[in-house]
Amino acid sequence: MTRNDPLIARKQELPLKDNSTCLFLKVMISIAVFLFAVTLAGVLSINSMLGAWNSSILGSLTVQIMPVNHADAEKARKETLEHQDKVIAFLKTLPEAEHVVALNDSQLQDLLRPWLGDGIEMRNLPTPRLIDVRLKKDAKPDYAKLAEKLAEISPLASLDNHKLWLDKLVKFADGLKMLAMSTLVLVIAITSGAIFYTTQTNLGLHRDIIEILHIMGAKDTYVAQQYAKRDAWLGFVGGCIGLFFAVPTIFMIAGLAAQIEGGIISEARLSWFSWGLILSLPLFSSFAAMTTAYYTVKRTLEKMM
Amino acid sequence: MLQDTLKNEQAIIDMKNVGIRYDQGPEILSDITIALKRGSFHFLTGKSGAGKTSLLSMMYLAQKPSRGTLNVFGKNVNFTDRDSLALLRRRIGVVFQDFRLIEHLSAFDNVALPLRVCGMNEKEIRKRVKELLQWVELDKHMLDKTSTLSGGEKQRIAIARAVISRPDILLADEPTGNVDSDIAVKLMKLLVELNKLGTTVVIATHSEKLVNDFAYPRLHLQNGGLSVVMPRESLIRGAKLYD
Ligand SMILES: Nc1ncnc2c1ncn2[C@@H]1O[C@H](COP(=O)(O)OP(=O)(O)O)[C@@H](O)[C@H]1O
Ligand SMILES: [Mg+2]
Repeated sequence: MTRNDPLIARKQELPLKDNSTCLFLKVMISIAVFLFAVTLAGVLSINSMLGAWNSSILGSLTVQIMPVNHADAEKARKETLEHQDKVIAFLKTLPEAEHVVALNDSQLQDLLRPWLGDGIEMRNLPTPRLIDVRLKKDAKPDYAKLAEKLAEISPLASLDNHKLWLDKLVKFADGLKMLAMSTLVLVIAITSGAIFYTTQTNLGLHRDIIEILHIMGAKDTYVAQQYAKRDAWLGFVGGCIGLFFAVPTIFMIAGLAAQIEGGIISEARLSWFSWGLILSLPLFSSFAAMTTAYYTVKRTLEKMM
Repeated sequence: MLQDTLKNEQAIIDMKNVGIRYDQGPEILSDITIALKRGSFHFLTGKSGAGKTSLLSMMYLAQKPSRGTLNVFGKNVNFTDRDSLALLRRRIGVVFQDFRLIEHLSAFDNVALPLRVCGMNEKEIRKRVKELLQWVELDKHMLDKTSTLSGGEKQRIAIARAVISRPDILLADEPTGNVDSDIAVKLMKLLVELNKLGTTVVIATHSEKLVNDFAYPRLHLQNGGLSVVMPRESLIRGAKLYD
């Protein structure tokens, strides 16, 4: 009886499987999802990097006091500290400043250790002093004016302006992000375009069958569903393949980035949410392929017959 | 099956001054005005190329008239949206001149097609299709791809597909053209039977014998025009009434 059970033999009216279109779309979607995943990882890293910069570095500035040069080290040190006190007093009057503190000897020593090694005697060295100013939230001092005033108060003081440097970096990162985002848009556009044209071509190819279906009373959605079903599957499989190659690539790039000195890139950790987003890409590609195919069929059939 | 709004005497297919042309070519048919009543039976005759298939294809809503108005089941096809047209088509059974089966599908799947497009459940489909395939003596070939079947077998499948959904109208384009006379007679009996059950039937044919053997009115196409010939005339020519 099972041999005679026609339900088992049931096939879809449109022969959409096992052809070169399927292979083409699968490869196309794999590449698209690969590019998408890697670029998305980039965008998300830049985002977390920008977030980290904004919260830690943007909220502070550093003033440097150059050491007084003097044959008598002890006298030089004393004079330098006088300058430092004057500058601190001034900085504390700034409305944007929340907290002003000079780095002490051991902190300075920690900073200098990579260059000078252990066991140096700070007191005998003409080293610059650093004053750390934590700014109030969203405070934006006029850095140019501030630098001018500092010079008036002490010719030894200079503004180590994180902000000016960071501004450039943030702009660069923002530009990179825009570029990456437009890549994402481009990848989506090209892939939907490919699905659109292959679907359209395929509809033309099976025009006879579609005409029969129509005359039998099939609505456009009946045909559209058959394409949508296939492309949902292709989108999912292609997405998984793309992801399979993307994940090791992301790790590789992250590994390379981590080698860059300065710890800038180390802020670029991908959160669990970001990973979740990347790993769910096959679902998105499946859904996108499905809807593209569905609406392409509906639109094309309305024009075709 | 018919809606209440459509009274018995009302035309199930109603053409007024219908013309049809392909692309920018001349009109194949001009000023066709005809009303087919529910439950009627007509032959459609005319030389090859006279436009029989074209006229039928307007009736089964595969194409719209280039001019004039066409009402099917009381609906003007020019003012009916695509989905509603699909619903109208479900009430029309068609036997194409060239069968137009889906070759890569089995006989079963081809016959099941009209039921599947309207979403009938598979259990009911299985029951109905098996029954009908038995009736046309093709149950042995139920699972065979139609591409492997003979011309006569294909024709029976095409007919089974046309009647499986118990349509209100049955349009057959030269259904006896490719079969031997035994099957032709059996087929005619089937169509007459369906007509008795209330189905409106139009059969395009160029077989004078067929037209003469059965006393039904005939729509005759000539020079792009249509004329109606009543069966009385064919009877006078010595034809016998079918029984
Ligand atoms: N799709 C088409 N495109 C162009 N011309 C067509 C088309 N279908 C039919 N014709 C032309 O219309 C005329 C009538 O054809 P048809 O309706 O098939 O007549 P019949 O069925 O009586 O043989 C013929 O001259 C044929 O060449
Ligand atoms: Mg014809």
